[in-house]
Parts: sequence; structure tokens; C-alpha cells
Amino acid sequence: MSANAAGLSGVDTANRQRRRIAPPVIRGLLWAAIGFLVFNTLVSQVIDRQPYDPFVTRVSATVGWAAAVIGWLLGVGAWEVIVRPFFGHPVEWDIPNDWRRYFMFSTDHKVVGLQYIFTTTGSFLLAGLAAMMMRMELMNAKLWVFTNPGAYLTTVGIHGTVMMFSVGTVALVGGFANYFIPLMMGSNSSAYPRMSGLSHWLLPAGIATVFLSPLLGQWTTGWRAYAPLSGQDPSGIVFYYLGVFAMTTSSLLVAINLTATIIFNRAPGLTWNRLPMFGWGILAVSLLTIIWVPEIQMTFIISLLNLIVPFSLFEQTGSPLTYMESFWLFGHPEVYIIVVPAFALWQEIIPVMGQKTLFARQWGVLGLVFVMLFSGLVWAHHMFTNMRNSEMLPFSFFTEMISIPTGFSYLVVLGTLWGARLKFSTPTLFVLMSMFNFLIGGITGVLLADPVINLQTHDTFFVLSHFHYTVIGSMVFTWLAAAYYWLPKLSGRMYNETLGKLGAIWVFIAFNSAFGQMFFVGLRGMNRWVAVYPQYLQNMNFSISMFAFLLGLGFLFNFVHITWMWNKGKPVGQNPWNGKTLEWFGTPKPGIATFSPLPHVETGFYDYSENTPPTPSPPKRM
Amino acid sequence: MIDILLFAFFWLIATLLGEWGVHAMEARGLYYSAATSQALDGEKAVAFILTMLVPVIAFVVVMLIYTAIRFRSRKSLQFRDNKVFIGIWVLFSIALNILFFVHPSASALEQMFNNEEARLNRHDLIVNVTARQWEWIFSYPQYGIQTAEDSNGNSTLYLPVNQNVRFVLRSYDPYHTYDPNGAVIHDFWIPAFGLKQDIIPGETRLEYVHTNKITSYDVDPMVRVQCAEVCGPGHPFMEAPVHVVSSSDFMKWVQAQRKLEAS
Amino acid sequence: MQEDSSLRRVDPSRRDPHWSATTFFVVLGLVVLISILSLFLKRPISDATAAMTGTTLNEPVTQIEQYDYGFEPHHITWRAGDQVTISLHNRSTTHWHEMMLGRGYDYTPSAFGPIATQFDTDFWNGIHVTFSGANHVDNLCVNKAIAKFIGPMPNIVTGGNFSPTLQPGGSLNMTFTVPNKPGTWHYGCFVQQYVHYMAGMRGTITILPR
Ligand code: HEM
Ligand SMILES: [Cu+2]
Ligand SMILES: [Cu+2]
Ligand SMILES: [Cu+2]
Repeated sequence: MSANAAGLSGVDTANRQRRRIAPPVIRGLLWAAIGFLVFNTLVSQVIDRQPYDPFVTRVSATVGWAAAVIGWLLGVGAWEVIVRPFFGHPVEWDIPNDWRRYFMFSTDHKVVGLQYIFTTTGSFLLAGLAAMMMRMELMNAKLWVFTNPGAYLTTVGIHGTVMMFSVGTVALVGGFANYFIPLMMGSNSSAYPRMSGLSHWLLPAGIATVFLSPLLGQWTTGWRAYAPLSGQDPSGIVFYYLGVFAMTTSSLLVAINLTATIIFNRAPGLTWNRLPMFGWGILAVSLLTIIWVPEIQMTFIISLLNLIVPFSLFEQTGSPLTYMESFWLFGHPEVYIIVVPAFALWQEIIPVMGQKTLFARQWGVLGLVFVMLFSGLVWAHHMFTNMRNSEMLPFSFFTEMISIPTGFSYLVVLGTLWGARLKFSTPTLFVLMSMFNFLIGGITGVLLADPVINLQTHDTFFVLSHFHYTVIGSMVFTWLAAAYYWLPKLSGRMYNETLGKLGAIWVFIAFNSAFGQMFFVGLRGMNRWVAVYPQYLQNMNFSISMFAFLLGLGFLFNFVHITWMWNKGKPVGQNPWNGKTLEWFGTPKPGIATFSPLPHVETGFYDYSENTPPTPSPPKRM
Repeated sequence: MIDILLFAFFWLIATLLGEWGVHAMEARGLYYSAATSQALDGEKAVAFILTMLVPVIAFVVVMLIYTAIRFRSRKSLQFRDNKVFIGIWVLFSIALNILFFVHPSASALEQMFNNEEARLNRHDLIVNVTARQWEWIFSYPQYGIQTAEDSNGNSTLYLPVNQNVRFVLRSYDPYHTYDPNGAVIHDFWIPAFGLKQDIIPGETRLEYVHTNKITSYDVDPMVRVQCAEVCGPGHPFMEAPVHVVSSSDFMKWVQAQRKLEAS
Repeated sequence: MQEDSSLRRVDPSRRDPHWSATTFFVVLGLVVLISILSLFLKRPISDATAAMTGTTLNEPVTQIEQYDYGFEPHHITWRAGDQVTISLHNRSTTHWHEMMLGRGYDYTPSAFGPIATQFDTDFWNGIHVTFSGANHVDNLCVNKAIAKFIGPMPNIVTGGNFSPTLQPGGSLNMTFTVPNKPGTWHYGCFVQQYVHYMAGMRGTITILPR
């Protein structure tokens, strides 16, 4: 990518008077609007015209949406970068060397990584705002924020869907891994850069689709879209299926790209034995994604057809349980897609912060890989309340057993911590907090794996709290740890240690106070998906809401702090934490080749004993 | 060595504190309110698992805090392996999980399956529960009661104490049988009874409980039927009060209901 | 890496990639604003436009669509003395819907406080209504209206206000002369414990004096 820099300085100086291109994002929006209008009209007014039909029907919305997404992708740059070259034209796609590069199609994995980081952060804030609205409603036992329970349920569904498919699944993989995996592999590019550029732009399309779903009507199912309810809600659910399709496709493309990058783009000497822990984690979740995402996409496509054709596959005259089984077949691996990168990051950050050799590395790898393999065997623990008795024991068994490989991540980190002179920085603090939170999530998970206990706690706020402990408590906390840890690499600047610690302690206290109480409110009889609940639960819910608002502000504080320091922080050197993985030795700037020449790896990255050289691989010419 | 001893000491303290906390919660009632033997079994399972896990929680938490504070002033000691520690960890986590699977998971489930055996349930009180959007309908075929309602027309559930009850659960709309695809999944849950069961359209599900306490919605709001599976915009309103009464009071109620239905 | 080779040469015939920041932010901001407005204010905006254009009379045949959970249109204007036909059609594939018309509410108590069961004043009291084209009618209660039937007879029930309830896909025409009861009236669907009404199945009728 050195060519890029050279070329761009030319672009900057040479004839400023040339006609400017339209902003690609705006062109994308325009083409999307045209695509939707043309195809929607074609379907609803010409091909499939029915008496009394409104202008936008379920069928026309589906077809129009597909056209809109294609228009959007072409508009942001796929037209120049993918379609025209396919027909033999030269690539005419210049990328200015400024902030504009983040708002157009790019094949630079660092730009794509940052695009994903911005998009996931934005969607986290929006879906978080939805959560704040929900908590506001729940402050009072009666309806008062929403005018009807259906509106509350639609909000719950949007919150859950966006958080799962655009934050949980994407933040660490699409964001940090797109940026750092090629660096850690000692490579200047990801394996399929054009596909990677395309994948990011599917994500905002999916997010917008889900957020705009109420325009088609309310949907009350929540993110699991259980049939037969999904078949009888107003049409908003159509945009749920379509939006999720866009978001999951984005994840699928990322997974394919990163798997190939890890397999094929490793620097010379970077053997499997030396692969960084984050590499193992991302490889594991990418494989999980490649295996299970197509499964859920097919399920959703079938559900969508079930809705728009319509069939009655999952209704009383069909088989409602088939949908549930298909959903959770993916649904459980999904939660490991979310949390495995976090485990890997603990094992990445702690040795650096303690300047200490990673303990029992092979067990850590084993843990990540076995969690991945087991995760396909446990799905029906979400169905103890509706499965046959004979299914309960095996699924209870596998679910309890999965805590063994999960425990290996703790084994590795605790062993590394023992005797380490730990640098008590903000990333360290976030990792330790994240480990505590996942411990709570895991312990309550063991309780839930017991069928008899599950029959009481299922579908209550106990479960809600359990999974928020795993998704917020571990994944989001680790996400913040990673953001602070890599900030010097991303921006060349350091955050403020006091503010960082303040932010960590703030969210930790608020999170545990809010979600800790949710276990108890669940045990006392608070079930999920209720905007209106019996009066005796109001005091506890009020207190939960207060801490939830505090938590929301805490997240905001951390994001503002990081953004601020990104631009205004104290400049630091290349490798402030003295890490050994390769990303610390390359040029961080987007648009410029990271390694020139490529590094040659001679030892593993986690050995801090005296006799090894401080940096594993002074870049060597090959 | 001193570190190990010191750590063990803190671990012990934390474990004791934790066990005390679990014990206190147990005394208060882990489920807050338990009106069936099934709920008591569930509470016992929770108590057992938590009691066994407190040392594990304490180990990890104390370790996180201890290592974060204790070793700050020294040079890191470097090691990459400790066969004994890893061996203990792996074997112990396998053993603990197998233990939990055997008890309480399998043992309590065994108990539940036994309770459901037909020969033990010949004298059950049978309650037909029909879930429609967004209302519960209770009928008592043994007593000829079609829809158990209070004077306002809201559904209510009356049960005698110390009695095996068999709930026969179905999801359909008895008033609109022409509409087979209108039925959705509901979930029959009485929080104080300690278990729930999804009701799948097109299937008949059974749930067995043994009531063991006189109580009612009027004194304890956990004694209510609550739909626990989202079933549309009316989901939050799908609840009905429950009364567990003495058998003589139950018979009185049966008479009153019959009179109400006859009128 | 592939794309960057193209950047090496600066070709004057190629357009400047420094697209306009102003266009970008202004258009994007507008799109976001419109999205937010349409999300949160869909009903208020359409109600307001209906109120502004509300003085235009609806067609003599007022086509009313029922769906899950709403009426289209949800605002109607008639003039007293005109003869109109409500052509009611249930578009839902899963739910039956009714249409009551009136003012004020009747309540019954429930665990969540009083629940409205129907309008207190029934608009249809004493009105001559001709029913025609009954198709998949779940039931029809005429209460104190004076009914005449053309074509198939729907299933007649008694008890409660005037209310036609349609099965999924059902339809029914009701022809009558708008009585001299000027002002604002409400219509709504109260089936299934008032949940349809709460979820938005309601609308208003303005009746202009003669
Ligand atoms: C910012 C703090 C957050 C708060 C205060 C919060 C709060 C809530 C609440 C109140 C509910 C709905 C409860 C109900 O009525 O059923 C909910 C549901 C949910 N949340 Fe969150 N949440 C937060 C963050 C997250 C994150 C980060 C994720 C995932 C990455 C997430 C995933 C979900 C999911 C999957 C559901 C279930 C939705 C459904 O039932 O369909 N949440 N959350
Ligand atoms: Cu699961
Ligand atoms: Cu429900
Ligand atoms: Cu209705």
C-alpha cells in the first residue's frame, strides 16, 4: 500500500479544479432509494397487484429492499471497485488521504477495521438508547413511556437484534480483528480485500433496516422471532428478517476473509505453534460463523417465505418446534461467537501488562477450540420448557460440560497473573472486571443448565441478567479493554489513566448494581417482554432502572474519553506496553503498508523470560 | 510459599463469607415463595450448586484481587507451566461438573419424571388449561366446571392444598376454532410453584405439581398464573390469580362455581 | 493492494475524489432526521395531516381496511344526512376484528385496573342499516340499530354494542343515512381483552352538521 501514499500526494496537489465525485454514501442512499421505489412499484402496482393492497406490501417490500441494498452497495463504491473491473474496465477509485476514506468503499483492512469500529459503536449507542427507553418504561408498573405494549416489544426486538448481530457478533471480529489480525499475522493485507470492503457496507444497511422496521408495522416477537407469533404480527418482522440477513452476511464475509488471512497470510516463521492467542480466538469464531450463519440465514429465509407466500410451516398445522430448534441450533454458537474473542483477548492483554510468560498456552488454545466444537451440542438448553423429557438429560450434560473448556481460559489467565508484576492500567482493570463478570455469568449458567432450576428461571429476568452478564459483562467490557489497549496503536496517542480507571470503575459498579438486582427480580416473578407488570415489583425495577441509566452514562463517558484522546491524547511511542506480538512493530497509519519489508518470526510472542530478546523479531529482509 | 499460604487464608475467609451468604439466602427462601414440593426441590438444587460453587467463586475472585495487588513491587517471576496446578484444575473441573450432572441435575429430574408416572397420578385433580390470546381458561372436568371465573368474568384458578394436580395444557382459541393458525406459543407459569411449561399450538402438554401450602394471590402476588412466553401485544396482561385453599374450602368454591355457571 | 496501483498516476480526465463534505453532511443529516421523524411521529403526522385535510368529505362508499392492529383510514369525515356505505374488509390473515362506533367507555375491573370493553354510547342506536355482501363474518351484533339484510345472512348474536366482527379475510357492507349527531365520534376494535384497541386499532369520525 505504499503506492497509495505516493499516489495520493499527487492527487492532493494536482488539479483541484477537476470535477468532484459525489459523496459515495450519498450516491449509495440515492441509488438505494431509486432501487426501492422502482422495484417496490413494479411488484406492488404491476406484477402482483391485488385489490385494496397498500403501496408497500410484504412482497414488494422484500423485493424493493433487495434492490435498495444492491443500489446502496454499488453506490458506496462497489460499482467502480467490483462491477466495472469485472467487465474489464480499469479500477477508477481514488481514495483521498483524509477522513473521507472512512465514508467510502475501501480495500485497506485498517480502514475497513475502523469503519467497523465506528459502525458498531454507533449501533451500540443507538441500541443502548433503545435499552434506556425500555428501562424508563419499566421504572413504572404501568404503561407510561410507550403508548402500547406492542411498541415496547418492538423496541425490545430492535435492541436485542442490533446488539446481537451488529455489536456482539461484530465489534471484536469485524472491528478489532479486521484491523489487527493482518497486523498480527505480519501481513500487509487481508486475504480478500475487496470482499472485506464490501462486507462492511452491508452492516449499516442491516442496522438501518432493523431500526426502520416499525415503518412496516410493530413486531412483538423479540430477537428470536419465534413462530407462529412471527407469522401473525404486523409486517415489521419482514424488515427484521431482511436486516438480519444483511448483518449476518456481513459477518459471514468477515469470517471467510479472516480465516483465509490466518491460514494463508502468516509471515514467514509464524507457525501454528506461534500463532497469537487472538489469532486462535478469531479462527475459532470465524469457523463457528462459517458453520452456523448459513444455517440461520436459511432458517430466516424460510421464515420470510412462510410469511410472504404464505406457507404455514411453523404454525399449528405445521411444526412450531422446528423453528425453535433451527433458531437455537445457531443461537447457542452465536453466544460463543460473541464471547470467545473476549477470552482470547484476556490471554493477549494480561501477559503484556504483567510482562510475564503466558501460562499453559496450549490449554488456552485447547479451551478456545473445544468451546467452539462443543457449542453446537448444547442448543436445546434454551428449550427445557418445551422439549421431550428424554432430551433433557443429554443437553443438560453437554451444557454443564462446556464449562470445562471455558474454565481453561481462566486457568491460563490466573496462572499468568500469579507472580506477575502487573501494570495496573485501564485495559488490565477492564480485563479483570470482565473476568469477574463472566464468572457470575458462568455460575448462573451452571444453575440454568440444571433442568429443574431452568423450569423456574427460564423466560424471567434471571435469564435476562445471565446473558447480559456474558454479553455486556464480558464482551463489552473486553471490547473497552481492547479499545484502551490498542488506542496507542490506532491513534499514536495515549488515553488519560485517571479518566480511564474512573470510566472502568463507573461502568463496573453501575453494571453490577443494575444487572445483579435483575437476578433477584427475576426470582421474585418478573418475566420477560412485559411493559406492564404487577405492582409489587416496581420498587426493585425502579432501582434497576436508575443504575441502568448510570451505566448508559458510563458507557458514554468511556466513548467520549476514547474519542477525545484519539485526537488530543499525549503522543506515545510505537510500543508503549512493550508487547511482543507483531502489530506493535508495524506502521499504524491506514493507507500505508504496515510492514516493509515483511517481518520474520523467530520465537513465540509470549515468552518474557530473561534469555529471550526483548522483541521477538527485529524485521529482517527475506 | 508465603504467598500460597496467604492466598489460602484469604480464600478460606472468602469461602466462609460466601457460604454464610448462601445460607442466609436459603433461609429467606431462594425462590422467595415456594408453594409446591416441586418448588422446594428446585430451591434445594440451587442451594446445593451454590454451596458447592462458593469455594470456586471465592478462588477466582480472591485470585483476581490478590494477584492484582500483591506482586506489584517485584519483578515478574517467569514460568510457563505447573503440572500439578493444571492437573488439579482440569481433574477438579471435570469432577465437579460430573457431580452436578449426577446431582442435582439427573437426580432431581429423575424425581420429576417419577412424579409424572401414571400410576402415581390416578387421583390427581385434573385442570384443563386453555391458553388463548390473551386469556387463560381453566376448566375442571371432574367437577363439571367449564370456565372458572370470578364475579367480574376474570379467570381464576382454585386448587386444594396437599393434592397432586395435573394441568392439561393446550393453546387454541375455543371461540374461534375456524382459525387454526391464530394460536401461538404461551407459557404456563405460576412463580410460586417453581416450574413452567411452554404450551405449543397443536400439542397437549402436561404439568404436575403437588401443592403444599395454603396461600393465594391476595397475600402473595407470586401465586398467580403468568404467561412467560411472549405471545403478542397482550402478553403482559395474560395473568390470573391463584388460590390454594383447604379441601373443604375448595369444595365450597366448586359448589359456588357450579351455581354461577348454572345461572 | 490491488486497487492502489491505479492511484499512482494522476489522470486529469479522472474526477477529483475529494467529494464535498457539505453535501455529505447536509444530505445525511436530512435523511437521519426524516427517518427519526417518520419512526416516532408516524401516527401523529398522519393524524395531523388528516385533521388538516379532514374537512374534505370521504367518498359515499367509505372503504375501511382492518389489519393487525389498526384501521385504514383512521380518520373519516361525513356530513349528516348523506347516504354512505361502509365497506369493511379484514385484511389480517390470522385475527378477527370488529368495528364499534361510539363515545366514552364501559369498564370492567381486572388485575391491571379497569379495562374498557366497549364504548359507552353506541353511535348506531336507532339507525336504519342495510347489510350486504356479508362474507366470512364471524358474528354481527346489531344492538339497537334497525337492520335489513341483502344477500347472505351473517351469524347474528346479541349482547353489547353494535359490532360486526369479521373473520380473517372477511368483508361486509353497511349502508345508512348519517344521522344528525354532529361532532367527533370514535371507532375501534375491542376484541381480545381490549388489546387490539390499545395496540392502535382505533380511529375518529368527524360528522359535519347538515
Ligand atoms: C447498555 C446496557 C443495556 C441495558 C440497560 C439492557 C437492557 C435490556 C432490557 C431491559 C431488555 C429487555 C427485557 C425484556 O423486557 O424482556 C434487554 C433485552 C436484550 N438485550 Fe439488552 N441491555 C443492554 C445492553 C445489551 C447488550 C450489549 C447486548 C448484546 C450484545 C444486549 C442484548 C440483549 C438481548 C439479546 C435481549 C433480548 C431481546 C429479546 O428478548 O428479544 N443488551 N436488554
Ligand atoms: Cu445457549
Ligand atoms: Cu404470553
Ligand atoms: Cu381487532
